[in-house]
Amino acid sequence: MQIRDYVLRRLLILPVLIVGVSIIVFALTRIGGSPIGIYLSHEMSAEEVAELEARFHLDEPIPVQYVYWAGGVLSGDLGWSGVAAAPVTEVFPDKLAATMELAVASAIVAVTLGIGLGTFAGARRDRFPDHVTRVVSISGAAMPLFWFAILLLIVFWVYLGWFPIGRSDAQIFASIPHPTGLYTVDALIAGNLTAFRDAVWHLVLPALTLGYGATAIIARMMRSSLVEELQEDYVDAARAKGLPERLVLRRHARRNALIPTVTVIGLSFGFLLQGTVVAEIIFRWPGLGRWMADSVLRGDQATIMTYVLFTSVLFLVVNLVVDVIYAYLDRRVVLGT
Amino acid sequence: MTIKTTRGRWRLLAMLLALALVAAACTSDDGADTTASDDGATTTQAEEDDGGDDETTTTESDDGGDGEVMNPGVLVHAADDEPTTLDPAQVEPGEGGETVIFQAYERLLEIADDGPDLVPGLATEVPSVENGLISEDGLTYTFPIREDVVFHDGTPLTADDVKYSWDRVLEMDLPESAAGALGDIVSETRVVDDFTFEVDLQVPSAAFLNTAVVAMVSSIVSEDAVEANGGIVAGEPNEYMQTNMVGTGPYTLVAWNRGENIQLEVFDDYWGTPANLDVRIEIGPTPDVRVLGLRAGDFDTIEADPSFIGEIEGAEGVTIVGEGLTVEPIHIALNLNIPDGVLPEEDTIPTDFFHDPRVRQAFNHAFDYQAFVDGALGGFGDFNPHYIPQGIFGYDPTAPVYSEPDAALAEELLTEAGYCPDGFTASVITEEANLFETAALVLKDSMERLPCNITIRVLAVAEAQFDDAHAQDPIEYAMWVKNADPFADPHAYLSSYVHPDGEWGEIHGFRNGYEDPDRIAQLIDDAEVELDRDARAELYAEVQSLLYDDPMWVIAAQEGVVAAYRDWVQGWTSNPLWPRPSLKFALMDK
Amino acid sequence: MDVTERLPIPPAPPSESALRVRARRAGELTANVLSNPTTLTGLIIILLMISMALLAPWITVPNTPDPTQMPRDWGAIAVPPGSPGHPLGTTNTGGDVLYGVIWGARTSLRLSLIVVSITVTVGVAIGSLAGFLGGRIDEILMRIVDVFLSIPELIFALAIAAVLGPSFRNIILALAVVFWVKYARIMRAQVIHVKQNEYVDAARVIGDAPLRIFGKDILPNSITPVIVQATLDMGNIVLVGATLSFIGLAEAGLAEWGVLVSEGQAGISAGRWWASTFPGMMVFLWALAFNLLGDGLRDVLDPRTETSR
Repeated sequence: MQIRDYVLRRLLILPVLIVGVSIIVFALTRIGGSPIGIYLSHEMSAEEVAELEARFHLDEPIPVQYVYWAGGVLSGDLGWSGVAAAPVTEVFPDKLAATMELAVASAIVAVTLGIGLGTFAGARRDRFPDHVTRVVSISGAAMPLFWFAILLLIVFWVYLGWFPIGRSDAQIFASIPHPTGLYTVDALIAGNLTAFRDAVWHLVLPALTLGYGATAIIARMMRSSLVEELQEDYVDAARAKGLPERLVLRRHARRNALIPTVTVIGLSFGFLLQGTVVAEIIFRWPGLGRWMADSVLRGDQATIMTYVLFTSVLFLVVNLVVDVIYAYLDRRVVLGT
Repeated sequence: MTIKTTRGRWRLLAMLLALALVAAACTSDDGADTTASDDGATTTQAEEDDGGDDETTTTESDDGGDGEVMNPGVLVHAADDEPTTLDPAQVEPGEGGETVIFQAYERLLEIADDGPDLVPGLATEVPSVENGLISEDGLTYTFPIREDVVFHDGTPLTADDVKYSWDRVLEMDLPESAAGALGDIVSETRVVDDFTFEVDLQVPSAAFLNTAVVAMVSSIVSEDAVEANGGIVAGEPNEYMQTNMVGTGPYTLVAWNRGENIQLEVFDDYWGTPANLDVRIEIGPTPDVRVLGLRAGDFDTIEADPSFIGEIEGAEGVTIVGEGLTVEPIHIALNLNIPDGVLPEEDTIPTDFFHDPRVRQAFNHAFDYQAFVDGALGGFGDFNPHYIPQGIFGYDPTAPVYSEPDAALAEELLTEAGYCPDGFTASVITEEANLFETAALVLKDSMERLPCNITIRVLAVAEAQFDDAHAQDPIEYAMWVKNADPFADPHAYLSSYVHPDGEWGEIHGFRNGYEDPDRIAQLIDDAEVELDRDARAELYAEVQSLLYDDPMWVIAAQEGVVAAYRDWVQGWTSNPLWPRPSLKFALMDK
Repeated sequence: MDVTERLPIPPAPPSESALRVRARRAGELTANVLSNPTTLTGLIIILLMISMALLAPWITVPNTPDPTQMPRDWGAIAVPPGSPGHPLGTTNTGGDVLYGVIWGARTSLRLSLIVVSITVTVGVAIGSLAGFLGGRIDEILMRIVDVFLSIPELIFALAIAAVLGPSFRNIILALAVVFWVKYARIMRAQVIHVKQNEYVDAARVIGDAPLRIFGKDILPNSITPVIVQATLDMGNIVLVGATLSFIGLAEAGLAEWGVLVSEGQAGISAGRWWASTFPGMMVFLWALAFNLLGDGLRDVLDPRTETSR
């Protein structure tokens, strides 16, 4: 298939998938609980409850409610978040920035460590380091984030006091403007190194927690594709030419092994997104994940709907981009050899 | 090949090493470059933990704690949850917004710093029949308004603002708010002159001042500010007022960083004694984070509850307060008004299960009060007769109290009622992950321990789902657990929780169960209009003794007031009648 | 993780009887699995966990009336490990940590077995249907699968469990809704590949009924990657399930690891590490063991690895 056709096909399916997700999300909120549960108290009379229901169109038939909701979403009205006590759209950008900053930091950790570990293990296939790396990386996939985060918290915050929790020191936060909402970037824009250090320092523990899990996914893929590449004819050919093994590994095998690894970066991004829910609860990171967890516990449906919809769309788009890059890279590889 | 990867490994190691070095460098920096408060936090934390590890108190860390007050000039309070609104006309009683409203707004009268008495707030006198500010028929109240008071926006306070504030609540009449506290009593508000405000009541009420005037919903807001920002729309929340505060209190709102903190600043033009410290309210740290933050000195005061206060015991530089009781008894409701077919399918009890007083008594006798108070509340709590809380006028210390579980008696009562040994299954619904859930678990263990083949299912659900179930009328569960709303007057409790025609009396069908519902109704109605204190107290005592044999609730406990703060905080004062966490930040210094 | 791409279609040699082939392959497989130390470790941990789960009523005194609920000792709140009657200490509500650890294994086994059997059945059925029939039905089914796959699994499960309300049954339900899609996708891909094999054509030529072809030729030759995925999921399901209950979506007082970690979290600041550490480690070991085994199985079943061995 031509890449253009492939991309086009994927782009055409995307809206279908998004509508599908939105239907699932909407259906969920009508299954259990009441969308206005968060506003209710026992002092309310039946009329007052009815009044609230009318305020949110809950007296209409379900498909009409879906249209109201979907129309609202398209026009930027995502409802009222009971947990944040504000319209969802008003709170969303700040929380998104917080989560994205964390996700990117974790991705940096994951990609660096994952590719490093994967290469290390793949080049020593079936030897002791390979087994160790395998256990380490599988541990990452099997590690309950909520537990790992608590362990890090105990060691580095409670006992060593090296790293703080939360997202910033309140006074440092107040000392610079925050045009982007990404505190590290904001600090750099302001040229304030103290603020930058503060932002980075707050990132360390949650990013390590999240990054470790994703590291496992990437390392595993990197290892197996490197093992595969090392069995390819071109590697033998290179060796036969007398190229030193490290050059074979670095110039040829590793570079090609990176290509399939790109595919799992999309996958691990999904992992990171999910992980933020747990990591943000434990490290008090004021992002989307903690907002979602609070909303789940308090039945704040507008937030739950928005969050699920948003992460799914993001997940879809990231995967699309990754697949397109992969298709492109893969073709080049095929053409190259 | 090996060469290359060895280098790779070294690179990895070097990276880690570098990371560790940077970490070390930065921690040592903290000691050197001084003033930033965050740095202090880290240092003190480390020292403290060194001491704490082997359970010894090193004088060194003690000195450090005394000598160096962290976050100077700012009082940092770690709160339980985020406000949903900062508008007095919208806030729900007991909700996080009340904490802030209490500091930045004021009411005509306030509850004194040291007890249940009322003291002048924006009014200069507490109305009484004696001083002529309450009319002879008990229907008209006059409030002389304080002069020279300015709002945060600089406009002066007049009686117009007062009338405007109250009328605003009545007109908006938001279902989520406590508008009813005013609306159910007030018939008319009047401005007599610039500094005199009058209110007519629908019926005489001994409870008006205590339940309505001091309530957060009755806070005085600036008319100009509201009118300039959306004015009043009936039935609609005001978006400006949800996130801005224009009151007369000792604090102004500086910022509300959602999910992170709320910052208050000392209001320089405050009419009374000005506040000492700016305030930062940290929003929603989980209990363990609150405890750790307090230990580290990052927080000066924290919102605590008995379930985790024990974890602070022995911490350096921290004072734990465990005195007095909240006025919100934790109660398990027994539903006498269950329509057919609404109970969860697992439940095997008949709909008239709790109509039988023996069953209600059995539940009251079976409940392991000691386990709840000593176990769940860590000893911070006391038993409560039905239904007036200790600390509220009318509480009868001699009234019989359920406090010792009597399993044999409970078994006997259930056998007589025909539910033992065949048993039954019943569900109790509660909010999850708090003391209410624990109370439900104690109930479960207490009942299942009886040799009666009983199963109690604890349905611990999300707050919104609980609120949803709880707001139904009739309620579709046999039992639920929550605490009472706080009031300052006994009538409010009895009319809500005991009166057969009161709020819960109707929802739960108390008339289906009381041996003599009219007698109970009569006693409560009489007490409401009885202006003689002793006579009123006697009436209440009689109600309380009747309720022992005819209980409508299982009262798990009256929760103790617990709080913890750093030793460097001065002037720490708490009053359980204030909105939680029952603190007035303006009184504190450090 | 999706294993579709990684797994080959084992060719079925027509000369040997299917039974013997399978027996021989099973023997090789076992030998291969056991030769790998990490896989063997996984297997041993799994066996220990399962024995613990099955023997729970004999190791500890079951709580009455419902043994899946934690027994609470209100007279021993948050006592440390080694206390009389509570070898691993108790939680903030006096729950016995050892009981939670042991019965948590039973809860986890129940959870993962139920969810895996539901999801494999549903997934395999739908995947086979789509792959075998093809055409319009395939297109529709796969779009539905794609929609389900668009929502990250933990978030999806979290949202479902949130609207259904906190209970163990709802966690099972939520996980089942989320996990079946992978099997559908894997199975479909397998069936499409296997369908093109000569022996399937041969069977069709002989005139075997489609159902018989499916049962005899296609299903047995497509199921391997499903088994690998199911092994991995035995671990993943407990991991995600424990995360849900950690966040607060299990029912009150359930003897479950995630619930215990969540309860124990509150005591950490006071140095009460035991209530969350032990159960958390159990989740980790459980997921680790099944991941090791699944990973080992995948390696063994992967011919590209096999030829080089």
